[in-house]
Amino acid sequence: MAKQFGVGDGAIAGLSDPGRFPFPPDQKAALRFADAMTEGGGEVSDDLYDDLRRHFTEAQIVEIAAVIGLFNYFNRFNNAFRMDITLTDPDVVVRRAEEAATDDGEGDARTLSERIVEILAQGRRYLWVGVYRREKDAMVLLAHRGPSTLPHSFRVGEGNVGAAAGTGVTRVIDDIGKGATHGASFAAGRSELVVPVRGGTDVLGVIDARGDREGAFGEEDRALVERVASILAPALAGGHATRR
Amino acid sequence: MGRLTRLAPDQVPPEIREMFRKFLAERGNIPNMFRSVAHRPEILATMLAHFRAVMGPGTVPVPLKEMLAVRVSRLNSCDY
Repeated sequence: MAKQFGVGDGAIAGLSDPGRFPFPPDQKAALRFADAMTEGGGEVSDDLYDDLRRHFTEAQIVEIAAVIGLFNYFNRFNNAFRMDITLTDPDVVVRRAEEAATDDGEGDARTLSERIVEILAQGRRYLWVGVYRREKDAMVLLAHRGPSTLPHSFRVGEGNVGAAAGTGVTRVIDDIGKGATHGASFAAGRSELVVPVRGGTDVLGVIDARGDREGAFGEEDRALVERVASILAPALAGGHATRR
Repeated sequence: MGRLTRLAPDQVPPEIREMFRKFLAERGNIPNMFRSVAHRPEILATMLAHFRAVMGPGTVPVPLKEMLAVRVSRLNSCDY
């Protein structure tokens, strides 16, 4: 959220420990004020208040205190109710994928796959998401988002990605720790959704998504990723796809 | 799974439904917190108005306000 308002990545990371990041003096004073208001009973020392007063007018200090107070209210409210992080509506995700496919024009599989994994990861908060393309008897990773390093290729039939490619059927794995088919693909995430990208009766590729908890993928995400797979299909068909 | 049920646009009064429609158009979702607070429409309506007054353009740069929001949320261990 803050990023889109022009806050740099360095500053966002610096907010975990503002004392160690070179924020300008006015920002530093406001952040110290946020800490003082939020921690303990909210006691603000005279020194800190004087520092704040050197950089800001009273109107500005009222506004700053309102921000700090508002987020304390919202945070406590959301923590108390264990509020889930808001995901982008599936129809909106599909629309963005369709727009990406239209922009793509020439149907470059790699470019569109990059856009698609970005749209899915950002909109649905998947831990990891990748697009594999079928090249002869292997599934080769074309694009991905997420921290972990997963295999860059699977043989068709191997692991969940290879199995989905072999059968052309979506697989939902609620608990990634269970089941023998998963041996080849390392432990990345707690659950997995594997959706084949089909072109007619051929399997052109696979979209593989990982969740950070067991049972992360319900009917909504399954239907969503299947719709996205059909949007991606023409681009994958235009590449080096091999017929089954 | 959150503790509160989240209301859909067809479960809320017309004035709240209009606010939900705007969220969907502008950011592609309706924040779960607001869908839950919608159980009390008067509180949601004034919450949204207050949120805009506090976080919108004012006398303090918006990026600084966003940074303060992130800092407070980290201190409160709130991922939301």
